[in-house]
Amino acid sequence: MNRFHLIRRSDVSIWKKLLYYLIGIVFSLLLGGVFLKSLGINPLRYYRDMATIGLIGNYYPAKSVEGLLKLFVPLLITSLALSLSFKMRFWNIGGEGEFITGAIFAAIVAFKLGDSLPGPVVILLMCIAAFISAGVIGFLTAHLRVRFNTNETLVTLMINYIMLYIIKYIGETKADWNFFLRTDSERPMFAKFPDAAIMKGIKIGSFNLLYSVIIALLIAVVVYIYLRSTKHGYEVAVVGDSVNTAKYSGINVYFITVRTVFLSAAMIGLAGAFTAASSGTISTDITNNVGWTGVIVAWLSKLSTPVICIVSLLISVLQYGCQAASASYSQIDHNFADLMQGIFLFAILAADFAVNFKVVRTGSKKDA
Amino acid sequence: MAEADYAIELRDISKSFGSVAANKNINLNLKKGEILALLGENGSGKTTLMNMLSGIYTPDSGSIFIDGEEVVISSPDDAGKHGIGMVHQHFKLVERFTAADNIWIGKKDSGFFLKKNRYKEIEDIASRFGFDIEPAKKVANMSVSEKQTLEIVKVLCYGAKVIILDEPTAVLTIQETQKLFDVCRRMKESGHSIIIITHKLNEVMEISDRVAVLRKGEYVGTVETSATNEMELTELMVGRKVDLKINRSVMEKTKPLLEVRDLCVNSDEGSLAVDNMSFYIRGGEILGVAGIAGSGQKELCEAVVGLRKAKSGKIIHKGQNVIGKNPKEISALGIAMSFIPEDRLGMGLAPSLSVADNIILKDYSDTKGPLVDRKRARKEASDIVKMLDIVTPSVDTPVRRLSGGNVQKVLLGREIKSDPNVLITAYPVRGLDINSSYMIYDILNEQKQKGVGVLFIGEDLDVMIALCDKIMVMCHGKLQGVVHASKTSKEELGLMMTGAISLADVGGKKAGIAKDSAFTEEEWEEAADLGDIREGDS
Repeated sequence: MNRFHLIRRSDVSIWKKLLYYLIGIVFSLLLGGVFLKSLGINPLRYYRDMATIGLIGNYYPAKSVEGLLKLFVPLLITSLALSLSFKMRFWNIGGEGEFITGAIFAAIVAFKLGDSLPGPVVILLMCIAAFISAGVIGFLTAHLRVRFNTNETLVTLMINYIMLYIIKYIGETKADWNFFLRTDSERPMFAKFPDAAIMKGIKIGSFNLLYSVIIALLIAVVVYIYLRSTKHGYEVAVVGDSVNTAKYSGINVYFITVRTVFLSAAMIGLAGAFTAASSGTISTDITNNVGWTGVIVAWLSKLSTPVICIVSLLISVLQYGCQAASASYSQIDHNFADLMQGIFLFAILAADFAVNFKVVRTGSKKDA
Repeated sequence: MAEADYAIELRDISKSFGSVAANKNINLNLKKGEILALLGENGSGKTTLMNMLSGIYTPDSGSIFIDGEEVVISSPDDAGKHGIGMVHQHFKLVERFTAADNIWIGKKDSGFFLKKNRYKEIEDIASRFGFDIEPAKKVANMSVSEKQTLEIVKVLCYGAKVIILDEPTAVLTIQETQKLFDVCRRMKESGHSIIIITHKLNEVMEISDRVAVLRKGEYVGTVETSATNEMELTELMVGRKVDLKINRSVMEKTKPLLEVRDLCVNSDEGSLAVDNMSFYIRGGEILGVAGIAGSGQKELCEAVVGLRKAKSGKIIHKGQNVIGKNPKEISALGIAMSFIPEDRLGMGLAPSLSVADNIILKDYSDTKGPLVDRKRARKEASDIVKMLDIVTPSVDTPVRRLSGGNVQKVLLGREIKSDPNVLITAYPVRGLDINSSYMIYDILNEQKQKGVGVLFIGEDLDVMIALCDKIMVMCHGKLQGVVHASKTSKEELGLMMTGAISLADVGGKKAGIAKDSAFTEEEWEEAADLGDIREGDS
């Protein structure tokens, strides 16, 4: 009678929860340490470099923070946007595609208008173009779901591939119409935006605080209030919880779904525009997988806005720190950063499981 | 020891879900060849206990003995091996298969190929217990009672010696219930043991040998049915004395509030669910709607409150045509509906949202500004919680954490809060225990005394006869007649429900038409028809 079954638990104290997560993190550090050791790297030094995102012994610490924020902003905005549609149980996993859409349309504005208009106006127009174009993609997927009952997971998933191949096509096709590419290069390469289309920031000493960081934090506050206290947020919760109940109480389900998914996709498009504008160009791997990582962040945070902010910061530190640390060792490259990220997320999800369930032996006399 | 006399013996069984203990140290035994009724209020842990016997849940602690031997049941498969079969409230059948095929797919020794003699074999078993079943009939074409019979035949075919029936009579008419009881008695004669879960005390008295009572997850005791009565059982179940009387107050007649004529409504599948119905409700009366489940009650409710487009027909509220109005506008007229579907939470409530958020579901948008007025929501919610005695840790608790009765009170409370003049309530006591049911009847009576016209769609005919002023009967979407509750009987209603008799057109007078209608016949003629409006934008 050596069988086991699971029991859901609900009475776990916050300290116990933290303890479980801590065990998960320690476990992943140990596992990563084994890998590092076998490659001949001192794990402690590596982890120190990682946790401090390479600030120690760096001549340009401000650059490290800027680099971190460039990862953090798109991930934060994408996760927030995804939490909006997840709250409505609309499984938008098309973050990648929506992000690329936003970036492409921002680039169109940058190349076409960047030379003729003043900087702030160009940036604003880029954001608007990205917001609307990505929003329209979201609108279409929502429309298909409500009107024709399509599976939004599949539709949004396919959007990712469509947009990925479109940006690859643009990036690899040398032609007269293709204003995205450099004219002075034989090989197809994405051109740099005109100066006016590159996002500026507030100078604090040698540190350049991009406006996108401030806007991202503002968006976090707005999303928090939107979901928690507004009528819109209330409607999203009702539709997500029970479509029948929403219809019954006179809520226009079609409108709410379309509006929410539009906003969700549009925000991801905006993140795409920010990334394009701050790096001054686009590329085929501009998303840095935020469309996928954002799904994990939103889920790990259980759709709570403040937790999303913390988790996306931690993941950004992990990503950037791993990159920075691996840069100083010849044995490993950025792929090791991905490996570490995978180990961490897996250990945390396992800890999450341990927080929610306990394993009990079937037929035991008394449970603990 | 006389242990082997017991088909099943449970000792100190406990099961908890999170911090909620559904079963606490339950001791229960079932003799061979007896019918044991398992009685208890909602949330007293009856179904949980039976699910542990049938292998769906595993007990946290305690032991199960079958024929005197300790066993571990950790899957429905195990339960089957030990000869335990359960007939669930929701049938587990493949709609497109025939009766015989439904049995064959789950049978262990049936082999890889369908055999020609399978129909014959099923028929043999069926006739042995006197079941009325056609083995070659497709499940999709079966009535609820036929499906239930099939479920019972199925567990018998799988060799069950102990049969658990979870609220089997909830979906049956009185005639069908009698048939089911005959079957139970025959099974008992052939040595099977039966556990029957039910809320209905009169059925407990009629069918069972012994009654086991649970209260709040704890085992209260087992009594011989012949040595007890309904009052005592109620007391055991609730823990105190309960007054089992429904007072029907007589109100002064007022003009018809809501008049419906020649209403035709389609079901989701496109077939005619409501077929040319006419009826009216006066203020200060409760009009009952009796009918077998799925006779068009749901479609009728939805059409009246504007949630479902009518094919044709006219609806007049206080002399005003409701044609072309959307659900919000109809609700603003004072027509409120509370519909309790089979799963209780599917319609009308958002289960993950708090009690307070559910209370404001219909009028959250009435306040100014972009923000939801949560302060008002909490206040109104705590008023309703106090008024209806709703048991909840706080108004911020998600509705799905509440027990069935309290969920239904939240729903009814919200509808009453809007101060309606017509209250449509469908199955308001569905699955509720005695105590909560009477609480709901009291609420409906209060509404009636306030002059509200109540449309009460119910299941229990005894209750309907006691509570309603008039009862209209539906069968396959057709009006079978409207009778005065004080002048009818359960038998008459049962026959009308199955379509055996119709009182809809007695002496050339069409039923359901008010003599003192708010409209004259000419106005009715002229009134726009619901079928005339074009397909609305959802």
